[in-house]
Amino acid sequence: MFGLFKKNKSFTAKLVDYNQEFVVEPGDSLLTGALKAGLPWPKKCQVGSCGTCKCKIIDGKTRAEIDFSYVLSPDELNDGYALACQTSLKSDISVAVNLID
Amino acid sequence: MKTFYVNVRYLIVPVMTVLTIYGLFLGGIYAWTGVFLFGLNIILDTATKNIHLRADFDENGNSFGIKTFQYIVMYLMFPIFIVLQCALAWNLYQFTTSSTVAVETLVGAILSTGLWAGLGIIYGHELSHNKREGFSVSRAIMALSGASHFTYAHVYQHHLELGHQNDPATAPRGRNVYWHTWLSHFGQSKFSFDLEKQKLERHNKSFFSLDNKWILGYLYSLPSIILFVWSGGIIGILALVVVWSISNFLLEALNFMGHYGLIREAGKPVEHKHSWDNDNLFTSWFFIEIGRQGDHHVRGETYFWELDEVGAPNYEIGYFTLFLLTLIPPVFRKYTQKYLDEWDRNQASEAEKQIAKDYYEDTKHLSNNILVV
Repeated sequence: MFGLFKKNKSFTAKLVDYNQEFVVEPGDSLLTGALKAGLPWPKKCQVGSCGTCKCKIIDGKTRAEIDFSYVLSPDELNDGYALACQTSLKSDISVAVNLID
Repeated sequence: MKTFYVNVRYLIVPVMTVLTIYGLFLGGIYAWTGVFLFGLNIILDTATKNIHLRADFDENGNSFGIKTFQYIVMYLMFPIFIVLQCALAWNLYQFTTSSTVAVETLVGAILSTGLWAGLGIIYGHELSHNKREGFSVSRAIMALSGASHFTYAHVYQHHLELGHQNDPATAPRGRNVYWHTWLSHFGQSKFSFDLEKQKLERHNKSFFSLDNKWILGYLYSLPSIILFVWSGGIIGILALVVVWSISNFLLEALNFMGHYGLIREAGKPVEHKHSWDNDNLFTSWFFIEIGRQGDHHVRGETYFWELDEVGAPNYEIGYFTLFLLTLIPPVFRKYTQKYLDEWDRNQASEAEKQIAKDYYEDTKHLSNNILVV
């Protein structure tokens, strides 16, 4: 509840395989930031249940807004995979994802 | 001024719930306040059925909704619903120990509590789409109605399987709201059970683990059970059964009205056409825009005050008015058939038409002039 009163700031997400980066505004998820930047990030349900927006956080701090263990396997969780639609940024990050062709 | 108007208009349920609580404490005829307000809402909803507003944004595209304010209100609904249950328990205690509460007062108190606990479930729904704390408050609100499983089933099943036959919350054509309530409630609970089972197996944990959200969810309902047993014994249990039945019936009625008869081809994305919109003025404000189902199911993370008209199929009446029709299944089917015909004709894909056609042919008691001649 008290997170409502926190002062947030924007962070940058860098796509390691595409040499592109975009800004994620305070309150936006990683996916929302990507979509606002016009990137063809794979997505479907946008509520963290389908796994379509799955990506791998290579570097930086993020926060999982829901429990990813319903969708991601233990190995994926250990390897740093995240659901972009339910990930907020706590620092600038590098991320790997397969954008839609 | 615009900011004030956009934010205050969503306070109908909090205000009316507090009035209902006040009525329960006043007792006598005032214990029926919740029932009276429910009836009044049907009138207001029907009176405003032709008034449809769009979401409000400034010239830069920013919403007038104040997130902090709306979240404080939603979180505050949890203690308000606790007080609502306590107010009924107080009536039960008076009834069983000193007979100072008449039977008709107690009946009014039970019905009022059930109706407003059920209407309050809209906050459990809204918060189910939010982050950590909001999700937990959603679970707690739903637990007050013995439906904590809803939060997981809604996000992990309904939003994924919408319009498919394996989504218990999507009612196929011909089903009535009473049967739907049973099937959807227990179907979602079964899903939540299976979801936890699979998750715990994947993580090599026992089913009887503190990480089992299905079990924990029902444990969250224990305080309500204890309160009603303590305050009313057998009568208290019966009262709680009635309250939970009404509140879950209202919850499932919303699911029923939101998706009745709509079909989505397997593997295809959720589109606006896969949900019914009910977005007249009173329904929009009262149900905090939950009636903008078309937009909600495509942009599940969007705050309710930013949801908008998106061209989804529309029943053209509000939830309260439509709810009355659902109570009489033949009348509901007759009313909705023309809208389903229109959907089949103008919005369904060829594959969806075929699914609908097969369904009509399998269920001979139904007729559809568009697909089956």
